[in-house]
Amino acid sequence: MYLQLGWRNIWRNPRRTVVILTAVVIGVWCMITLGALMRGMVDQMIRNGIATLTGHIQVHSRGYRHDPVIEHSIVDPQPLEHALKEILPAGARWSLRVRVSAVASNARHSGGVVLVGIDPAAEAAVSFIGDAIAQGRYLKAEDKNGIIIGNALADEFETGLGRKLVIMSQGSDREIASRAFRIIGIFRAELEATEKQFVFVTGGATQQMLKLKKGISEVSILLPDHQKADEVTAALQDTLPSEDYEINTWKELLPLLTAYLAISENFLYLWFLVVFIAMGFGVVNTTLMAVFERMREFGLLKALGMKPRWIVREVLTESCLLLILGMAIGNIFGLLTSFALSGGGIDLSALAAGMEYFGAPRIIYPVISGKDLVMANAVVFILGLLVSCYPALKAARFTPVEALAQT
Amino acid sequence: MLKKIALCLSFALGMLFSLYADSAAQNAQVLVEASFNYMRGKTSTATVEMVIHRPEWERVVTIKAWTKGEQDSIFWITAPPKDKGNGTLKRGREMWLYNPKVNRVIKIPPSMMAQAWMGSDFSNDDLSKTDSLLHDYSHTVIGTETHEGKTVYLIQSIPKPDAPVIWGMQKLKIREDSIFLQQDFYDEDHELVKALTTSQIQMLGGRLLPRVWKMQKADVQGEYTLLKYREITFDQPLSDNLFSLSSLKRPKR
Amino acid sequence: MSIDFKIAWRNIWRNPRRSVLTISAIAFACVLLVFMLSWQLGSYDSMINFATRIHTGHLQVQAEGYNDKQDIRLTVPDPNRVAGVLESSPGVRTYSFRAKAFSLASSKERTYGILVIGIEPEREAQVSTIKDLIRRGNYLSQDDTNEALIGELLAKNLRVDLGDEVVLLGQGRDGAIAATVIRVKGIYSSGQDDFDRSSLQMPLKVFQEVYNMGASVHEVVALVNSLEGLEEVKKAITEGIKKLDRENRLVTLDWMELMPGLIQGIQMDLVSGLIFYFILIVVVAFSILNTFLMSVLERTREFGVLMAIGTTPWRLTRLLLLESTTMAVLGIIIGIIAGGIITWYFQVHGIFISGASELMRQYGIPERMWPKLSLLSLSIGPGAVLIITLLTALYPALKVRRLRPVEAMSAV
Repeated sequence: MYLQLGWRNIWRNPRRTVVILTAVVIGVWCMITLGALMRGMVDQMIRNGIATLTGHIQVHSRGYRHDPVIEHSIVDPQPLEHALKEILPAGARWSLRVRVSAVASNARHSGGVVLVGIDPAAEAAVSFIGDAIAQGRYLKAEDKNGIIIGNALADEFETGLGRKLVIMSQGSDREIASRAFRIIGIFRAELEATEKQFVFVTGGATQQMLKLKKGISEVSILLPDHQKADEVTAALQDTLPSEDYEINTWKELLPLLTAYLAISENFLYLWFLVVFIAMGFGVVNTTLMAVFERMREFGLLKALGMKPRWIVREVLTESCLLLILGMAIGNIFGLLTSFALSGGGIDLSALAAGMEYFGAPRIIYPVISGKDLVMANAVVFILGLLVSCYPALKAARFTPVEALAQT
Repeated sequence: MLKKIALCLSFALGMLFSLYADSAAQNAQVLVEASFNYMRGKTSTATVEMVIHRPEWERVVTIKAWTKGEQDSIFWITAPPKDKGNGTLKRGREMWLYNPKVNRVIKIPPSMMAQAWMGSDFSNDDLSKTDSLLHDYSHTVIGTETHEGKTVYLIQSIPKPDAPVIWGMQKLKIREDSIFLQQDFYDEDHELVKALTTSQIQMLGGRLLPRVWKMQKADVQGEYTLLKYREITFDQPLSDNLFSLSSLKRPKR
Repeated sequence: MSIDFKIAWRNIWRNPRRSVLTISAIAFACVLLVFMLSWQLGSYDSMINFATRIHTGHLQVQAEGYNDKQDIRLTVPDPNRVAGVLESSPGVRTYSFRAKAFSLASSKERTYGILVIGIEPEREAQVSTIKDLIRRGNYLSQDDTNEALIGELLAKNLRVDLGDEVVLLGQGRDGAIAATVIRVKGIYSSGQDDFDRSSLQMPLKVFQEVYNMGASVHEVVALVNSLEGLEEVKKAITEGIKKLDRENRLVTLDWMELMPGLIQGIQMDLVSGLIFYFILIVVVAFSILNTFLMSVLERTREFGVLMAIGTTPWRLTRLLLLESTTMAVLGIIIGIIAGGIITWYFQVHGIFISGASELMRQYGIPERMWPKLSLLSLSIGPGAVLIITLLTALYPALKVRRLRPVEAMSAV
């Protein structure tokens, strides 16, 4: 009954309803689209952070994180691997790496890089490098002299596939260790800094070059469910002797990103609120007008014995319908826009230097998050009803006499 | 039948050529080793003037240097007075610097190996890998020319596949009497990066030697480093103690 | 006109509730825009000031080419004459000299290649934030000789602490070997890893002696009174320097040339901010369109009568526009005043952003932020709102012209 009545009422003045609907639709549409874009950007920054060799959990020899030198290697990773096999949940993957700072040089250029020695198959399942190869090919376990470098480094060094790169670092015997590698692959990464920083070779080649035997620098673990990172870390910490190992989750390893995540979430919700308030003025005004227009009607209803409660309910039903309709259309538009954008993403390469400065990705793909969707709609709906209470109560308080006296 | 003969013949010829190529490579290797040993001797003691030339300035440093075998050397600056006593020790691939003012020895970290040595056109690497030419390259004689009436071998040196050297190729000129005339450093596109040339061949320390060595980068004009030998003596017995960290702190003469 | 205005004014207050809501919507949008824009511009100022006060200063006078090559031989040979130019430029707040050289820094255990910076302790403390960034130990004093400040990460890498010795070995300006031993007097942390990992600061006088610089320096770093006047100050200094140095070997660079990444980051942030503001304004516009539209539709009869007694449609349009303009202007004035007051409050007290200090530091933003009121931030948002509101008002105002008196009068 109320629904039907309400529905008819809101279309009594279609122009007014269309205008306010437009306001609600645009508001909701923008909330959802911008929310998705922002979420997409932050998500991607975190995914990049995790994929750029961090993983969900990292295990190091104690002291490595503060002083990442070869002396702080895990000399024999076997007990560690045993523990990993036992504790990690099914589906978790991990990669053992050697990671040292080194100098790369060719005939004309020379510069500092981070040399990462990997097990190609294990690493591909954990970090970005497995599917980041833009030219050439990925490493194979038997590549003794193959090296993968970033596109930006290749440009800087004026080099390319098939060329030689000499890597120099300090061996575990503290002597200078150097080895010639041939570039077999060039990778691309979201951030130019990553492309300039890392070069990848096989773990065996690194261990041989640095006289490390079986030693490694770090283990990076990727869990099937990143929410479990804290739990698994605690389990690992219980098993592995804490005087030998340091175990950290990605949140500890990427404090900046974690903080950024929190800030942007708050910012998003604040933004929802602001847009709502802008929209809320319109909703109140429109409903108020609709109520005053029908002052006589309400007066009459009251005179006929309708309780004020029912009038409140009637008016709230109307704004409820208005809001739901606006939200439905807004949601559809928002989802459609996000869906349309998710194909190509928004390419911000033109602002690449600026994006790089903030560590943001070059292309943003919108990500619809259920949480944001619920939040946006909840804000609009709940606050919308709340502000509609004002005109509703106003209508309920019309006395029949006063109302009927109006022209 | 004819086919068979042809086959045999070509096989034999192939053998012959490969043998010839082998011996050419051996020849080139022998030439390079002979020259290296001739120029360096078993040991050597030398006084060298180093001139670092730039378009707007020039710096002259006098260096006293001792070498032993393929890899070990130690040298100190003797002039100008301000830099006197600064030393460099090279043993194997490692290098240390000594500064008398602060009385400290500093080991050059890997990250600094590509940097210029004392502001010259020689890099630390050039110094630390002197013997690399002997071990990391395959040499081939690719031609000859004459210099002061003597035959000069033009040698192309290509780095062995796994050798940790940055050059794509080197070209050497070695005279038949083992005198080292030129060393060109090329990148992997076989474009010249820098060149070391020698001149003023005369009697020094009892043998014929080029007195002046000049290192110049290919793409910059008016910048080069000269090494001028003032005197050199060869094959005096030198103790291993000389090439040690403790001796680096006590400049000789 | 004054009669029209009176009519418009009365019309507005015929339905006070609706008008108040409309005016509030406009005022709200203005307050928000004034505050957000002030905050955004203020945060850029903080970022610029923070970043420039660690690294580059607002302006630098250098030898031509030094910014690209950082060659120790490219010096400002007579910095005191440059200082003379700076002192006679009214926009310059303060300045300081710096000299830089790449060197080996070596402790007992480790050796790293780093950037050694020579600073004038007293003046540097005014130009840069280095003094406040000292986490342990003390800042340099004027008569320190072999004392130096080093970055926290470098200290960690070298495994040295306060009072420990670090050997510096590099090359002087004349090519001679430069070597000295310094004692760690203070350890600083700027939150910018690169800087904290590879820099060391020592007194300029000692630097000049060790690196054979004579009286020359590499950078004359200046701060200006206000960033708005930067362009003019730069021009004045460039002129002044040209007079000093006929061969034109010295150049004046501002922070945008010295740190191009920062300005691009700011531009990006500004663009994304504008998108948010635009959406907000559009939503507000639709919210108030209804009020305007209703106030016309509701009064169809009234307009019919007015037209029937000879009011021209043009005058009706003008009347309606006058009504909406008055409301818009009222809303905007209230918005600017309220926005200004709120912003001013936070400008004085600052906004503390908790839980984000690390992030803020990384991007060069201090933990406490100050919005910055300016003519720009006070006018841009409200200006945009005014334009959009008037455009919105145009639709109902023009609609009224299509009314036919007879039909209009018969309308309910």
